Amino acid sequence: MSRLGYVGTPMAGRPDPGRRRVIVMAGLVSVALLVIVCQLWYLQVLEGGRFQEASDKNRTRIRPIAAPRGILFDRNGLPLVDNRPAFTLSLIPRELERDPAARDATLGRVASLVQIPFAELQEALTRIAPDSILPVRVRRGLSMDDVARIEEWKLELPGVIVEVEPQRAYPTSRFAAHLLGYVREANDEQLKQGRYRRGDMVGQSGLERLLDEFLRGKDGGERIEVDAFGRQIRLIQSTEPHPGAQVVTTIDRRIQEAAEKAMEGLAGSVVVLDPRSGDVLAMVSTPAFEIDRFTGTIDRNAWLRVIQDPEHPLLNRTIQSQYAPGSVFKIVVAAAGLQEGTLAPTDRTNCAGQFHLGEWTFKDWKEGGHGSVDLLDAMRHSCNIFFYEKGLKIGGQSIAKYANAFGLGRPTQIDLPGEKLGLIPHPKLRKDKRVGGGWHAGETVNMSIGQGAVLVTPMQVARMMGAVANGGVLWKPRLVQRIERPEKGVVWADGGTVTGHVELSPVVWAFLRQSLWSVVNEGGTGVAARIPGFDVAGKTGTAQMIAKSRADKGQDHAWFASFAPVRDPEVVVVVLVERGGKGGQVAAPIARKILNAIFLEKVASIEIDG
Amino acid sequence: MVGIDRRLLQNVDWPLLGATLGLVILSASTLATLHVGRAGGGVALRQIAWFGVGLVALMIVASIDYRRLVQIAPLLYVLGLLTLVAVFVFGRTVSGARRWLLVGPVSIQPSELFKICFVLMAVWLVTSRWAQPVGKTALVLAAPMLMVPMALIVKQPDLGTALLLLPVLIALLVAAGLRLRLLGGLALAGLAAMPLVWFVLREYQRERILVFLDPLRDPLGTAYNVIQAKIAIGSGQLLGKGVAGATQSRLAFLPERHTDFIFAVFAETWGFVGCLVLLTCYALLLLRGFDIAASTREPVGRLVALGVTSLVATQVLINVGMVTGLLPVVGIPLPLMSYGGSSMVVSMMALGLLLSVRMRQFQ
Repeated sequence: MSRLGYVGTPMAGRPDPGRRRVIVMAGLVSVALLVIVCQLWYLQVLEGGRFQEASDKNRTRIRPIAAPRGILFDRNGLPLVDNRPAFTLSLIPRELERDPAARDATLGRVASLVQIPFAELQEALTRIAPDSILPVRVRRGLSMDDVARIEEWKLELPGVIVEVEPQRAYPTSRFAAHLLGYVREANDEQLKQGRYRRGDMVGQSGLERLLDEFLRGKDGGERIEVDAFGRQIRLIQSTEPHPGAQVVTTIDRRIQEAAEKAMEGLAGSVVVLDPRSGDVLAMVSTPAFEIDRFTGTIDRNAWLRVIQDPEHPLLNRTIQSQYAPGSVFKIVVAAAGLQEGTLAPTDRTNCAGQFHLGEWTFKDWKEGGHGSVDLLDAMRHSCNIFFYEKGLKIGGQSIAKYANAFGLGRPTQIDLPGEKLGLIPHPKLRKDKRVGGGWHAGETVNMSIGQGAVLVTPMQVARMMGAVANGGVLWKPRLVQRIERPEKGVVWADGGTVTGHVELSPVVWAFLRQSLWSVVNEGGTGVAARIPGFDVAGKTGTAQMIAKSRADKGQDHAWFASFAPVRDPEVVVVVLVERGGKGGQVAAPIARKILNAIFLEKVASIEIDG
Repeated sequence: MVGIDRRLLQNVDWPLLGATLGLVILSASTLATLHVGRAGGGVALRQIAWFGVGLVALMIVASIDYRRLVQIAPLLYVLGLLTLVAVFVFGRTVSGARRWLLVGPVSIQPSELFKICFVLMAVWLVTSRWAQPVGKTALVLAAPMLMVPMALIVKQPDLGTALLLLPVLIALLVAAGLRLRLLGGLALAGLAAMPLVWFVLREYQRERILVFLDPLRDPLGTAYNVIQAKIAIGSGQLLGKGVAGATQSRLAFLPERHTDFIFAVFAETWGFVGCLVLLTCYALLLLRGFDIAASTREPVGRLVALGVTSLVATQVLINVGMVTGLLPVVGIPLPLMSYGGSSMVVSMMALGLLLSVRMRQFQ
């Protein structure tokens, strides 16, 4: 304005209101420019730091990379469980709006887009520091539709991301469900232990739980620079995830599948062991649960349906259910008598179908009896009368001692949690009880055929059969051979553990094996398990339920415990079918199917390949 | 009278041209950092080319006696109106707005060119003998002259340009001696009419005003531009992030970053200090314009100078005010800075008029 003074020479001194007005306008514009300078001072100097932060936040994103969980392999290198990519909705607290109202608006939008209760989102955020750059997982297993909706609104959902994480994938929905176990987000109790972060996937049962610390890897992450559309421009920093360790189990996937197929539609369990090492080749408990449904987000009702199912699908019947062993127990009684000399192979009894003890009458399962039988006949035809009589002679004390020696009533020490011990009643422990509380001879009679108070688990029976097959070695059932880390090699290995020996003379072992072969191959009760040209040995059992009503009649549990081949046993197969009926009719054919799958189909396939 | 008199050349306002050149250099260098459209500094080179065209237009305008131009203003005004109408018939639609006419290889924006026609026409009207002394009669005559083009431009829609016409007219009326009491009455009437305007506005225009009043109303919708612009400006801090560090601009968080929001790009890159330099250039330019208006005693010359100065001043203030969050968002380019041929040529023509007045001040 300095030069304004020199104008106006032509008509100097005359009033010029227009000029004054122009100068006022210039003043107004100057003031407006000053206001703008003040605003710039405020934005750039006073608040500059805050905007700088906002600009950085605009620019960079944390992209977490979940570590893939370790894979479980069978003994031949086939995967029992694998990983596949799945979508997870997460919140990054630091990137959320700071203003509580705006943040709630974002959460509200998320809630309506993917149908999550608003409170659940808020709760998830209260558990983690508000400036955390680590994502809080809110929901796993998003559908493609959910993902599409979130991506569509991405610009309006600051701090909300969809992560791709590896998730468990199973060969079939219920494959080896009890053995593998399910994987689920850490629950409150596990979080309290401090070993897990919220949202971590943790093995909750089976091997997944047992080996969780090996299977879980270490998550990595990437810090990336993005443009306005969230597209990656540049990788700023990257931390590689460390995948979990790989576990080689003792399971044979082919046998496991065959056993599951054989048990289809039935309730019960199958255990297949290698008697030479204690390796668990297959472990089946039916009905099984849908293992993959537990991995994602299971709603309360579906969960309750599983929990309250009268068939108890979560129960691992191979180690957590106890049954009377029935006639399978006669192996123990015979072993006790022969070894102690209270029973000889030549001892005979005339079986007329009934046995009297005082005022009590015990019946044979066969109407009219088996006639005159020796020990071999009694084993072969599972004659109860013979064992009632000889059991009394051998004595309850002795039977209990040998039952314990075979590992019954004692833990198998398998690595899975929740194993039941079974029960072998001891007469001695009850002797000095008050009148009426002592041991009755009738209890010995019942015990002789594996009834009464005797309880076993299928795994215990399998281990016992293993001892019969291998000449007395009680192996701890082995599930895991070794654990390998990608770079470090084998970090843990199990060479097998012997937990006990059954001391019987070689003659007794030979007799037991001979009689069990006879059960299957010489017209005995186990004939349904016979495979022509292949030597299978086994013992049937029918565990009576105490009939509380007419409806319970015929609701016996069917057992078949076997090993093969007889000369040099490679597998023990134990089958239990709940409420199946007679062991020989129900359980033996299942064992035969499994043995067929193990030996004959394998041979056939090798022959075709070769 | 075409052809330049030696005496006229002595009176060329070099500081004004210096400020202009400075702004154009800042514009081209800012555009060169943005990889908009075609690869490399394509936009910057085109801006410089348009500056060349603008320079020629400036010289032509300056060489003609502005009184001649005011004499033929009604003709220019009618021609301008015709091109505005033509937009609706032949116009090219870009993102929902019909603002452009294709003339050979270039698309021109008639509403930009019309601004010059309007200034000349307003001067013609205010200085015409029917409007003397400037009072109610002048207002009555000015009303249709303002309303017709405004309606046409709002219809395109180009609210920003339409809004420019009003302050320019008011400035001219005031400088021509309109009684302030009358102006006050007019302002009151305008305020009373505001609710009516609300209904005329389109939905997105209303939303912009609401967002201005409450920026968190829709942070990633309409307010997105404003918030991102504020982040860009603020994060420039005192000295700026430099060309490489200007992530807001480089990573395309800023919308319209080569046109209406170019100030935010500049502010992010060069910081508060850079903004002071830029605003000083504009202040120099505008105060020179007011100086020319104030120092010209010939009424037509004064009003022409004031008209173009107020036109540029309003654009600068509204654009920077909008980008810094002081005003609601309206689409107005920043003269000489924003990329755009029509805008550049029109700004240069306006400066040509200013020079023309200055050169002939002492005749």
